[in-house]
Amino acid sequence: MKLDPILVEIFFHKFTAVTEEMAITLQRTARTTYVKEAGDFGTAIANPDGRFFAYPAALGVSGFLDSHCGPALEKVPDLVPGDVIITNHPYATDGLASHMPDLHLISPLFHDDRIVAYGWDFIHSADIGGGVPSSISPRFSELYQEGFQIPPMKLVKAGEMNQDFLTLYRANCRTPDVNLGDIEAMLAALRVGERRMREIITQHGVETFLDAQSDLATYAAIKARTVQRQIPDGTTEFWDFLDDDYNSRIPVRVRCRLTAQDGHIHLDFTGTDPQVEAAYNIPTGGKRHPWLTLKLMHFIFSHDKTIPLNHGLFENITVTAPCGTVVNPEPPAAVGIRSATAIRLNEALVGCIAMAKPGLMPAPSGGIMIPSVLVEHDAVTGGRRVMVLQSLVGGTGARLGADGVDGRDSSLANQRNTPIEKTEEEAEAMIVDYRLRPDSGGAGQWRGGTGVVFTVRIARYGSAVLGRGMERFLFRPWGMAGGQPGARARVVLNPGTAQERDLGKLDIFHPQPGDEVAIYTPGGGGYGDPLLRDPEAVREDVAFGYVGTTAAMETYGVVLADGTVDLAATEALRATRQTERAPLKRFDFGPEREAWEAVFDDAFMNVCNALLMQLSPDLRAGRRRQVFDHVLPRLAELGREPLPAIIGDVGAARARAAEALDRLRDDIATFA
Amino acid sequence: MGSARYRIGIDVGGTFTDFVLVDMDRQLLSFHKEPSVPDDPSAAVERGLEALERRTGLMPTDVEVIVHGTTIGLNAIIQRRGARMALVVSEGNRDVLEIARLRLPSSYDFTVPRERPLVPRDRVFEIDARMRADGTIVSPPSAERLASLGEALAGCGVEAVAVMLLNAYRDAGLERTVAAALRAALPTVLVTESGVIWPEVREYERCVVTALNAFIHPLMTRYFNRLQANIANRGIQAPIYITGNNGGTLGLDTARARPINTILSGPASGVVASTRIGAAVDQPRLITLDMGGTSADMALCRAGVPEFATGTFVGEFPLMMPVVNVGAIGAGGGSILWVDAQGVLKIGPDSAGADPGPVCYRRGGTRATITDCYLACGILHPDRFLGGRMRLDADGAHGALDRIADRLGLDGVDRSVRVAEAALRVASTKMATEVIKLTAQAGIDPRDFSLVAYGGAGPTHANLLVLEARLNSVLVPTAPGTFCALGAVLADVRRDYVRTARHLIAPAGVLDSGQDGWPSVALALADLESEARAWIAREGDLIGEHDITVSFNLRYPSQAYELEVIVPPDQMPALSADLVCALFHTQHHQLYGFQHPTSPVQTTTLRLAVIGRVPAIGLPELAPGEPNAQETRQVWLDGRWTKAAVYARSDLGHGAMIDGPAVVEQPDTTVLLLPGWRARADRHGTLHMTEVPLA
Repeated sequence: MKLDPILVEIFFHKFTAVTEEMAITLQRTARTTYVKEAGDFGTAIANPDGRFFAYPAALGVSGFLDSHCGPALEKVPDLVPGDVIITNHPYATDGLASHMPDLHLISPLFHDDRIVAYGWDFIHSADIGGGVPSSISPRFSELYQEGFQIPPMKLVKAGEMNQDFLTLYRANCRTPDVNLGDIEAMLAALRVGERRMREIITQHGVETFLDAQSDLATYAAIKARTVQRQIPDGTTEFWDFLDDDYNSRIPVRVRCRLTAQDGHIHLDFTGTDPQVEAAYNIPTGGKRHPWLTLKLMHFIFSHDKTIPLNHGLFENITVTAPCGTVVNPEPPAAVGIRSATAIRLNEALVGCIAMAKPGLMPAPSGGIMIPSVLVEHDAVTGGRRVMVLQSLVGGTGARLGADGVDGRDSSLANQRNTPIEKTEEEAEAMIVDYRLRPDSGGAGQWRGGTGVVFTVRIARYGSAVLGRGMERFLFRPWGMAGGQPGARARVVLNPGTAQERDLGKLDIFHPQPGDEVAIYTPGGGGYGDPLLRDPEAVREDVAFGYVGTTAAMETYGVVLADGTVDLAATEALRATRQTERAPLKRFDFGPEREAWEAVFDDAFMNVCNALLMQLSPDLRAGRRRQVFDHVLPRLAELGREPLPAIIGDVGAARARAAEALDRLRDDIATFA
Repeated sequence: MGSARYRIGIDVGGTFTDFVLVDMDRQLLSFHKEPSVPDDPSAAVERGLEALERRTGLMPTDVEVIVHGTTIGLNAIIQRRGARMALVVSEGNRDVLEIARLRLPSSYDFTVPRERPLVPRDRVFEIDARMRADGTIVSPPSAERLASLGEALAGCGVEAVAVMLLNAYRDAGLERTVAAALRAALPTVLVTESGVIWPEVREYERCVVTALNAFIHPLMTRYFNRLQANIANRGIQAPIYITGNNGGTLGLDTARARPINTILSGPASGVVASTRIGAAVDQPRLITLDMGGTSADMALCRAGVPEFATGTFVGEFPLMMPVVNVGAIGAGGGSILWVDAQGVLKIGPDSAGADPGPVCYRRGGTRATITDCYLACGILHPDRFLGGRMRLDADGAHGALDRIADRLGLDGVDRSVRVAEAALRVASTKMATEVIKLTAQAGIDPRDFSLVAYGGAGPTHANLLVLEARLNSVLVPTAPGTFCALGAVLADVRRDYVRTARHLIAPAGVLDSGQDGWPSVALALADLESEARAWIAREGDLIGEHDITVSFNLRYPSQAYELEVIVPPDQMPALSADLVCALFHTQHHQLYGFQHPTSPVQTTTLRLAVIGRVPAIGLPELAPGEPNAQETRQVWLDGRWTKAAVYARSDLGHGAMIDGPAVVEQPDTTVLLLPGWRARADRHGTLHMTEVPLA
């Protein structure tokens, strides 16, 4: 480091304060709900390469710390003082904008004719055009459906607003006033950042300002590497599945191979599925990217809470993300709900770390984020009213030494929920249940957090309930180190009545007045052997209603009598269970995934994906569907029928799988 | 003699109970500090009153009013020492405290736990009582369920119960029914209804207010009863007021019924006193710094009055009621210095607190703190701390700082003071970032603002902070150590009211009568106003005039965000939909740069405050006096020992002017004045510190 350590600490606080003042300014004056309620925005200051050297500690989105402005800057080489760049383009920026509602601005800070820093901010704007209001739908397959594309260009030229751009922009979004207000707020935040950075330069000199940028990155890199050294040298591999790609019932697999060497981490995502014809692709440019390293960031920060938030934190991480896969799609693949894939991918990353050294990471959380929406007819106006009922998540996973958190999940967006009373102000429907879901947390020495049950009672004819992000309906949040998986998600019509019916994944459902629609979210995975759980903790779980008496006895081997633990009976029961049961698993994925992988194992998937990648990109998805259809002709019925019925005889299915690969090889040979 | 002419302000803190005695006739202030008695805080109050009587010849019958502030409720919440309690909710809503608002404290750190719920899940009971958002009843509680609820509550041995039914902000009727049944079944149990304590939409936040009130209800009732008895035993017949979160005071009976209104009163009183100091020098733009041993609090005043927040936190819990907007900044005299594995110096967040305290306190502390840095740099004198009542250990402080220097790889004879200076710089930078955030939230320029510094360490650090944060100047009141007690005695009686009311309003004639919500708004306001006037009339004879202030949360119908619009007091007589809409359009334009002047406006929340004016107290005036530096001492500033003049605060009369570098000593604090800065004492004794313009 070039500066003395006291100056480094002082600059850490000063730079962070710049980004936080930017964030506060943006939040105060922005108009979109995404900023006001959900905090879906970001501010930072970047070095001359376009990497962030400071980032707010608790304002805005935490996940974009490792964003890189470089690729966007390369597209606008002729910057002069007073310029501001605007972009939302996932491909032209190598994923700086990772879906198009995210509007990014970058402004250079000139000092004596050279650029010494950049200000950056982004917000998730209310709408950027495209096929649906708010611009995001899983069914979109191309970027063109997802709205107005803005490659990096000048929004402000030498202090003058680019009016032509604004005219075009206003014409291409559904809420031009709100969007323009957001741009004003972002510009105001950039001005604050520039003014503060100039003050720092005046006080300390430009060379010190630049030295501090690199020193803080070096400092973060040293700290991060110290933490990463906890991951033993060697290679681990792990994969996880999205239930399906929305347009078919074929699961989407993400695969991670982690190689650790003396605190350096390489992540190789080879073997991950080809890009899908749905909005689940993650644009990364094939480089190190925030969505690919999120859990590593959580890992590092959880083990050193004093680490300065800047790009240095990631400098000991390298990445391989093959082109044409869901982790590095080729244009114009749709990217709107890249977060759903990112959750799963980061759980695979968690698996890699846990495999290298158990205890470093928690088991996965419920791993979903469902914005459930109600459409109601308005009796007064006769029009339709669309409102968010609730942001639904599962519980967090357990970890060595601690239970998961019930009914909440910070692992992706850490958003706030909607008060029932606010929902009922808008809707005539009534929320009859919003409570923890008993027995849904994965059992373990440390218990996974429970999911929730959310039930709405419909009031009006012509209502509809929608939910996207419906995941973990098939494959469970897995358990770790002997812990069991969490319960799967469900949607049930009229639970507890004669008309009870499992609705499976909701896309859009039209209930009748008086119907109750209940959404059950998944529990987090458990950690460690359930028979080792402190019997007192089990007793308390039962008293609090997190765990039923049956599960206490069957899963945890705890005998309760009159609300207290019968210790002798518990010991005896546990001893019996221990001898009778199957060996504990390092990772317990649940029966569904075991059944699936009995046919489509890692070797099959790797070969299949490698072959598909030899095809031209436009052919991959169709050819892939043919493979799975051939192996499981009834796959489309999955959801209505259980997985074992779909698979039928495993041996026969595997034979068809081999056949399908042979056909694929033949086709490729023909095409070649 | 014999006529009531004294007012007494009392502030119970963790270490000391502070007293201010105001002689109304002679315009004199007397101060007293009494060690607190944690087991029975009212005992310290009684002892302090006795001491005041001895010192000043005060007769019990001379006392006109006692205004009392206490942190007992707050401490009980933070330390979770409140009542064993239960919560009753609508069916389906049992996990309102478990799920809370979903968001977890940290987005980065998976080891940070969620908050521990105030009421464990096995003491949360559902009842079949449900109301819609429009106030219609879906199901009244059934008699059987009420009876079994009473039995269940009796079975779990609770002292207090909170009742929070969904949508009860519209109408507390169902809650009252449930509460009445519980009071009948469990006569000794204190019951709080959410729609009575704070009828505002958002079930989690309202539940927290209700549960917190119930949690401290038994404890505070006992304390207030004891206090009242102790004061009566001394023969004092004067009414007792309790300071509130909103910077005003409440009659004792109101405080007993709604202890939640008092929990943040200590910091609020300091801000109230600050506005008086600011008003005396015609500076309405203030940032307050209350810095003590363990923590530092900051607040912003833009227009000479405290500002309110409705989104503050008490420990882990959000408080939706309006409170004086005071923020903790996590640095104090007790903040600990440490060095990380990479050799970088860090301050806090760990604090040595009051026990063991800084190394120099000789109470077993071994880790260097900010207070040790003041001592090492010569800012504090080891023999004059607390007026000489506590001798500080300078060798101990240097030794602890030497150990930090080792970790940093520093050597040389001055290494301990160099570490101390570096630590003070880091601390100042961290505190300045909090000032920046505070001013950014308000959208104002800090250079127009003065810092009012109080608490034991506030005046010591003020100049360093102001330099870093680029504030305009520093104001140090005469008795910074008992400033919150002064604020208590200066405060008016005040209570806030709220209604959630969604109505569409527009200038007269714009909306047809079916749509026009102004009649409903006016009715709700009239309702609140009569409730407020009835209350203030019961709050005692001391109150003269009272004022009503009104504010609205408003938005354009198509938008999701709202603005709070305060109706200026002078425009209250003309209150109308026209006025409210015009104020909103203007404010919207100021913040966002545009308005929709023809659009109707939607109300979401109505707020009303009633302020009962207490006869004002004039701050005492000081005789002129020339400063007289008795001595000088070496203070380490900017990397070298600098000769600083030392003054006694009591020698700085009206008009006294001193130049830095200087140190001003007084029993409750030490003031540091930097080179290039000048301090002047005004006629009330307040020290104004400003930078001397370069010639």
